[in-house]
Amino acid sequence: MSAPIRRRRDGRYTIRLDPSVRAVLVTMSEQLAPVLSPDDPTTKRLFPPAYAGPVHESVEREYRELVDNALINHHRQAFELVARTAEAEVLTDVELNTWLSAIGSMRLVLGTRLDVSEEMEAPAPDDPTAPEYQLYELLGQLQYLMVEVLAAELPDEGRPEGEL
Amino acid sequence: MSRAAGSSVRARQTEAEPLEAELTDVVESQLTDRPWLVIVWNDPINLMSFVTFVLQKLFGYSKEKATKLMLDVHHKGRAVVSSGTRERAELDVYRLHEHGLWATMEQST
Repeated sequence: MSAPIRRRRDGRYTIRLDPSVRAVLVTMSEQLAPVLSPDDPTTKRLFPPAYAGPVHESVEREYRELVDNALINHHRQAFELVARTAEAEVLTDVELNTWLSAIGSMRLVLGTRLDVSEEMEAPAPDDPTAPEYQLYELLGQLQYLMVEVLAAELPDEGRPEGEL
Repeated sequence: MSRAAGSSVRARQTEAEPLEAELTDVVESQLTDRPWLVIVWNDPINLMSFVTFVLQKLFGYSKEKATKLMLDVHHKGRAVVSSGTRERAELDVYRLHEHGLWATMEQST
């Protein structure tokens, strides 16, 4: 049994996932893409404030006016790519990085709704939040595997300039 | 990641009303003296390995440096991950937000 996510010799990645997991990625992507907004309680977590400390509120407002649309588009395009490629057996490096980002966003939405904390234990099976928590955990395992594979390609010693 | 932000989130600014632009200039002149610090805050959702990965990927940090920053975030609640001009800090905050990290910026004291 080979690993669910594996780097191929051509630099792309083989994705072996249960169809039910792929279906979940499509469902969540399709649910979240249309409601992305700093004002929506579900997706608010994806739009943190930029400024901390004593700055005039107009500074934060101006920043938000500059970037909110770009950030909404960034997240929407990631969800749309996941929905479009969810059945793929092979993903490019860019596509897998986009999956990672989108799955991270799904976890942020679910984790915020579940109000998770670092000490939190899994809810009992009959708890109404149990299915959502299981999904949250599943996406965490998926994200962990993806990070492991993608991080192996980054140089340990770093680069002079990051990804700009 | 998306390069939509260009080299500056401010590069995309559209024509503002003249009065508003003047007021903005006044506010900005009060903000430009000291360097800006970009801070990543602890959150209970993002995986530790993911935070390390994002810091390596975005800033080109070594695995050792990115891991140390991630552990500072985890244990101390926050870590300064970059610093520079306000423009640079805004761009870094934006890129961290693209990756779902809870990042803010503040002026050094």
